Amino acid sequence: MAANAGHKIRNAKLVLLGDVGTGKSSLVLRFVKGQFVEFQESTIGAAFFSQTLAVNDETVKFEIWDTAGQERYHSLAPMYYRGAAAAIVVYDITNAASFTRAKKWVQELQAQGNPNTIMALAGNKADMVEARQVPAEEAKTYAQENGLFFMETSAKTAINVNDVFHEIAKRLLQGQQAQDTPAGMVLNQRPAERMVSSSSCCS
Amino acid sequence: MEDPTGNNPSDAPPPDSPPEKRFASLSLPPDFEIQEDDDDDEGYLTAVSRGGSITSATAAWKDDLEDADVAPPSPSSSGYAGERGTSLASSAAANDDPEPQPDDDWPRDKKHLHEDDTSASWRKRKKHFFILSNSGKPIYSRYGDEHKLAGFSATLQAIISFVENSGDHIKFVRAAKHQIVFLVKGPIYLVCISCTEESYEGLRGQLELMYGQMLLILTKSVNRCFEKNPKFDMAPLLGGTDAVFLSLIHAFSWNPATFLHAYTCLPLAQSTRQAASAVLQDIADSGVLFALLMCEHKVISLVGAQKAILHPDDIFLLSNFILSSESFRTSESFSPICLPRYNSMAFLYAYVHFFDENTYLTLLTARSDAFYDLKDSRSRIQNVLLKANVLVEVQRSLRESALRIEDLPADPSSQSVSPPPQFSQDVHSQLLSSEMAIGGPAGLWHFIYKSIYLDQYVSSEFPLIISNPKQQKRLYKAYQKLYASMHDKATGPHKTQFRRDEDYVLFCWITQDFELYAAFNPLADKSQAIKVCNRVCQWIRDLENEIFVYGESTLSW
Repeated sequence: MAANAGHKIRNAKLVLLGDVGTGKSSLVLRFVKGQFVEFQESTIGAAFFSQTLAVNDETVKFEIWDTAGQERYHSLAPMYYRGAAAAIVVYDITNAASFTRAKKWVQELQAQGNPNTIMALAGNKADMVEARQVPAEEAKTYAQENGLFFMETSAKTAINVNDVFHEIAKRLLQGQQAQDTPAGMVLNQRPAERMVSSSSCCS
Repeated sequence: MEDPTGNNPSDAPPPDSPPEKRFASLSLPPDFEIQEDDDDDEGYLTAVSRGGSITSATAAWKDDLEDADVAPPSPSSSGYAGERGTSLASSAAANDDPEPQPDDDWPRDKKHLHEDDTSASWRKRKKHFFILSNSGKPIYSRYGDEHKLAGFSATLQAIISFVENSGDHIKFVRAAKHQIVFLVKGPIYLVCISCTEESYEGLRGQLELMYGQMLLILTKSVNRCFEKNPKFDMAPLLGGTDAVFLSLIHAFSWNPATFLHAYTCLPLAQSTRQAASAVLQDIADSGVLFALLMCEHKVISLVGAQKAILHPDDIFLLSNFILSSESFRTSESFSPICLPRYNSMAFLYAYVHFFDENTYLTLLTARSDAFYDLKDSRSRIQNVLLKANVLVEVQRSLRESALRIEDLPADPSSQSVSPPPQFSQDVHSQLLSSEMAIGGPAGLWHFIYKSIYLDQYVSSEFPLIISNPKQQKRLYKAYQKLYASMHDKATGPHKTQFRRDEDYVLFCWITQDFELYAAFNPLADKSQAIKVCNRVCQWIRDLENEIFVYGESTLSW
């Protein structure tokens, strides 16, 4: 994951949404730090991470918002998904209610988010197949119908975790080439400024 | 219960104090008397038999939260993350565990979700806290699953509304050893049921803090949900905050901020603190409402935008919230929080970043889009702190700078047993060890000094003789009672109190400038004790530039 390949780095705001306990923080920690803890505590508000990914010759710097799944923070979600280039909606394959909740997040993003936001649907805890409540086929069909890309992931075993982020990065770069109009992809201007002032703080 | 040694409201002024600081003649409220069966501390062992490496109040983490753990620890839920009761799966130490554990090991998984009001273990708990709605719906319970406590909650609600229907308000009910304290806050009821012999005022103050902690998470606008729907189920809104309330309840037994309504600072050289304050002030001038740099629950520096004042209770509740939520330590966070004393109706946004294991910066703003600005500010602050070596000094202070009673300077005018510092090491340590058997000078064991003007307190490190968490908790409980009786609205406020029981001599002295709470060996001599208290006050004045934060512009409360 070389951040410095000599060409410009693309900033991309990415938000994770999903019900309580689906493993959003675990996915991010697996991706950013390569760590996993069995008893991850509840996220408060939203936690911010950054991580760079090299795709072919280009580099994407993800600015990741790991939002809290708790009900009291739902009304604040727009603050975090506004202007996001990508969103990962996470559910827990062992919890049907969390899949229902994920569909609501998708609806909300479709209604209020940016139409160009790349959306991924992640069925997490894929290592716990014996407790599965959400058939992979069902989620896959739903994802196709709604223009999401879908993967089952496991933060615990690391299956497909990097792949989700990698796929998002690929699509971001493709999307950029396909339509060079910046409309809808405009990120908050501040992160761009920040790149100059404090390039040392990215891990 | 008459105390054999007598609780002496003294009638003589302290020998070294000006005449106006006279001892008031006191009549103590009945609940101030020490009862003979202090069963909250069953399993209490005498101090000397316990070594233990616990040397400060903050190290008292393992404290058992009040009670006998008759039941086995509740099973942890499975899954990666969770809402309620999924904190650390540490095993609960039994009350009669003979060995004090080292720091940071108090069991967080103490909710005992399998219990309800029909369980014998639940009923044996020494101190319950409940939050419920005015329709009787459970919102929070310290022990057991809220959902299973619906019937019990309804009973509490019935008691409250029965009294309210007759145009009155219920404050507390006493039933044998149990005290049930009620606090009504609009549509939200808070109840504490305790047999810990704490005072009504003390317990009500704890309920006030519980309410404040709830507001910090939700703001008072949660009341509107009840206006729309009186049957509103509020419990889910507090999802994932069990650790916050658990840590708050734990603080009631170790953190003096919970009853003194003051905060404490990390001792630092004046120049070090100034370096931190200067950069925080810069940041505050650029649109941040409050900037706080803290180490654990101790303030390193804090500044507010002009005219903005941070109440000590808000500092306490905020730091409790941050320190008890593991999530803040994993990365930078940006979260809505409410400071109940500042504005209980509105959310502020808190940028939180941990520089190391225990030192963290909190920047508060009213702007929801300020994250990247605050992130920049943090990196500026971090640069200055690193350049000025502040973070290193903080760690050093944490290890070394505790106030130890054996360091109390000798009174030059009297024949003191304390050796001058140039004494040879051998003699020095010999004298120290003999002194430690009875406590510090004149049998002084511990003190807390609160500066009224600054709303800050300092407390001495616990001596070996009060080294285990149970003993420390017991002393804090005694201080809390002392505080309550000194500030009793009916009979007080009082200026001094000297009382002796089988555990301690307690002395409290309140002036316009400070409140001093001191604990001595139960055999301590009164006039000697008072002399030592004067020395303590002088000592604090000598050290004040290092142990207190003096705000340049905004900290006049």
